[in-house]
Amino acid sequence: MLLNCYQRSLCAGLVLCGTLLASPAHSAPRTPTDDATVIEKLPFRAGDSRARELDALRARARKAPGDTAAAAALAQAYFDMAQARGDPRYVGYADAVVSQFDKNMSADLLVLRGMLRQYRHAFDEALVDFAAVLAQDPERADAHAWRGAIYLVEAKYDQARQECAALLKLQRAVLHGGCTGMVQAYTGQLTAAYSTLQQALALARHDDQRLWLLTRLAEVSAWLGQNARAERHYRDALALGQDDGYLLAAWADFLLDNKRAADVVKLLAAWEASDPLLLRLAEAETLLQMPSAKVHTQALDDRFAAAKLRGDTTHRAEEARFQLRLRKNAAVAVQLATANYQVQKEPRDLRMLLEAALAARDSAAAQPARDWLQSTGFEDTHIRALAAQTLQLAPARKTPVVAP
Amino acid sequence: MTRRLACLLALLLCQMTAWAHKASDSYLVVDVKGGAVTAQWDIAVRDIDFALGLDRDGNAEITWGELRARQSDISAWALSRLELSRSGACPLTVTGLQVDDHTDGGYAVLHLSGVCPGATGALGMEYRLLFDLDKLHRGLLRLTLDGVTYTTVLSPTSGVVQFGAAQASRWVQFSQYLVEGVWHIWIGFDHILFLLSLLLPAVLVLHMRRWQGVSSFGTAARDVLWVVTSFTAAHSITLSLAALGLVSLPSRLVESAIAMSVMLAAANNLWPVVEHRRWLVAFGFGLIHGFGFASVLAELGLPADALVLSLLGFNAGVELGQLAIVAGFLPVAFYLRNTRFYLRGVFVLGSWLTMLVALIWLLERAFDLQLLSA
Repeated sequence: MLLNCYQRSLCAGLVLCGTLLASPAHSAPRTPTDDATVIEKLPFRAGDSRARELDALRARARKAPGDTAAAAALAQAYFDMAQARGDPRYVGYADAVVSQFDKNMSADLLVLRGMLRQYRHAFDEALVDFAAVLAQDPERADAHAWRGAIYLVEAKYDQARQECAALLKLQRAVLHGGCTGMVQAYTGQLTAAYSTLQQALALARHDDQRLWLLTRLAEVSAWLGQNARAERHYRDALALGQDDGYLLAAWADFLLDNKRAADVVKLLAAWEASDPLLLRLAEAETLLQMPSAKVHTQALDDRFAAAKLRGDTTHRAEEARFQLRLRKNAAVAVQLATANYQVQKEPRDLRMLLEAALAARDSAAAQPARDWLQSTGFEDTHIRALAAQTLQLAPARKTPVVAP
Repeated sequence: MTRRLACLLALLLCQMTAWAHKASDSYLVVDVKGGAVTAQWDIAVRDIDFALGLDRDGNAEITWGELRARQSDISAWALSRLELSRSGACPLTVTGLQVDDHTDGGYAVLHLSGVCPGATGALGMEYRLLFDLDKLHRGLLRLTLDGVTYTTVLSPTSGVVQFGAAQASRWVQFSQYLVEGVWHIWIGFDHILFLLSLLLPAVLVLHMRRWQGVSSFGTAARDVLWVVTSFTAAHSITLSLAALGLVSLPSRLVESAIAMSVMLAAANNLWPVVEHRRWLVAFGFGLIHGFGFASVLAELGLPADALVLSLLGFNAGVELGQLAIVAGFLPVAFYLRNTRFYLRGVFVLGSWLTMLVALIWLLERAFDLQLLSA
C-alpha cells in the first residue's frame, strides 16, 4: 500500500519536474555540480517586514525565557502566519513555543494551546485548556468564543448556546451575534440566523470580524437558496482584501455548486500550496477537462500520501471529497467521510457523507447524516434532497442499520 | 512559442511543488548489521534554515554553496539529536552530504555511518530533531535491523524507541519463519521426492502382484493422510530436538541417510516389501528428514528470545508446503490411476528415475563428490 503510494508519487514526480520524489526508498540523492544551484526557496527574505517582525519577537522571547507574554506574542504571530499562508510548519513552531511552559501557563498561553489543539482536531484537550483559561479569568471572551466554535463543529448545540450566552453577558455583541447566528443556522432557523448575523455585522468594526460574518452570511444565503445575495456577501468579503483560506474555499464551493468552474480556476490559480484550495482548483479543472487537472489531482494524491505517512488524520474531510469527486472512488470516500463525521459535524461534512453514501449506494452509511437532519431541522434544500435520495437506495430495510 | 509555453508550464509546476505546504518531516533510513550502522537522513532545507540560518545573502534562496559551507554545523546539529545504541552508544559520523527533493521542497541528504559496541540484542534509538522548535515535526523511520525491517513515526512523545528481538511483533516473526518453512520444502527436492515416492502408490492397490487403481477416493485419501501425518510427526520431533540443541548428528550422515531414504522409498514401489504400512516407513525416515530441516533452520538462525515460536512457524511452514504438494498431487493421481500413463509412466518410470537420482545423491553425499551440477 505504502509502496504503491511511493510508486505513484514517483510517477507524479517524473511528470512534474523530474526531480520530485516522496520517499528516500525511490529517490535519488544528487550532488549538485554548481554552488549556485538553488536547493530551496524560503517563504520570505530576511529583510522582509514580516521576517523582521518575527525576528524581533523571537529575540524578545529568547532574552526572557520565562516571560509568558513574550512567548505568547511569538506563538500568536506564528499561528497568524499559519492561518494566513496555510503553512502547518508555523503551527508546529507555535506549539513548540507554547510547550516550553507546561506549568505556570498564563491565560494567553492556555488560549493559544487550546487553539493549537483544536487545529489538530484534539477538541477534548482544547476544551480542557479553554476551561482552565476561564477558571483563571472568567471574563476571557475568546475562550468562550473558541468553545462555542468547537461545540458547533461537534454538533453540541445546547453547549454552544451556553457559550453564546456567556458572550452576551460579557457584552461582546459581535461575538455573541456570530455565535448565536451559527447555532440558529445549524438548527433549522436560517432566516433568524441571517438577521442575527446581519445585526452583528452592523456592529463589527474590525475587518477580520467583518470578513468572518460576511462569509457566514453568504453561506446562510446560499442555504436559503438566495444565490444573488450570497454572491454579494462573498464579493464584499473578498473586497476587504485579506487572505483567508476559509473564505476562498467557501466562495469556490459556491461557484462550483453554480456550475462556474472557470471562475474557480481564475480565483485559485495562485493557491496550489493550500491543500483545500488545490482540491477545489483540481475539481474545477476536471469539470473543464483541462490538462492541468491530472497534474493537480496527482499532486493531491501525493500530499495525502505524505500526510498518511506521518499519521496525520486531520485531512479526512478533504480526502473524502478528493476520493469521491476526483478519484471517483466512492467506497473509500464513504469510509473517510464516515470517519470524518465522527469528529466534525458541520453542514459541509454532512453533505460529503451524503454524497459519498449516495455514490457508494450505501444507505446505511448516510444514517448519521439523516439523524442529524432530523434532530436539527437544518433547512438547506440541497442537503435535504441528498438525504432523501439516500433513503431510496434501500427501499426495504429489514435489519437495523449498522455502519459498515 | 510552444517552447516558451513549455518552459512557463515547467516553471509553474516546479514553483507549485516548491511552495506546497506540509508539516515538517525528516526521512531516516537506517541499516544495522551486527555492530555496523549505515544511514541516510533527509532533512528539509527549510527546517535546517529555521534551526541554523542558512541564507547568508538574505535573498530567500538556499543554494548548494550555502548548504555546503555549513556542512559541519549541520552535521553537528543533526547528530546531537539522534542517538543509537546497541549494548552501548553507537557514535555516528556524517560521511557525505547530498540533496534531494520531496513533495514539499528541497532536502539535505546526510549519509551516516557508525559502529556499535555490540553486534546483537536490541537497538535503542533516541530521536529529537527539531522537537525543541517544531512540535509538529515527525521523523519517518525505516530501520532494517539484521534483515528485519521496522517502520515507525517518531514524534515528541515517541522519539525514544527500542527495536530488536523483544520488540519485533511475535506474529511477524512467526510468519517470517512460516514462509521460510514453506520455501524450504518447495526447494528441498529430496524431501519432495521422498514424499512423492510414498504417495505414488496411494492411489493403487497390489492385486495378484500387479498394481491397479483403488476403487474409492476415500481409500487413497486415508492412505495419504496416514503417510503425511506420520512423516510430519516424525520430522517435527527430530527438527525440534536438533533445533533446541538436544540432539546433533553429523550433516554428512544425515544427508546421506536422506538420499538413502528416497532410494528405498522408490525401490519399494518397484519391488514391494512394505505395502500396507508405508506410514511406518514415512515415520522412520521422517526422523532423518527432520535433522535435514534442522540444518536449514540452523543456517537461518533462530532468535534466542523467540526460539519456540520461530520453530513452530518453520514447522508449520513445512507442513503447509507439504499440504500444497499433496493437494496438487492427490486429485490428479486419483483421476489418472487406471491409465497406462500413470501405471507405467508415472509410477514405474517415475520410481526408477527417483531411485536413480537418489542413488547419485547418495554417492555424492556419502563420498563428498560432485556428480550432478547443482
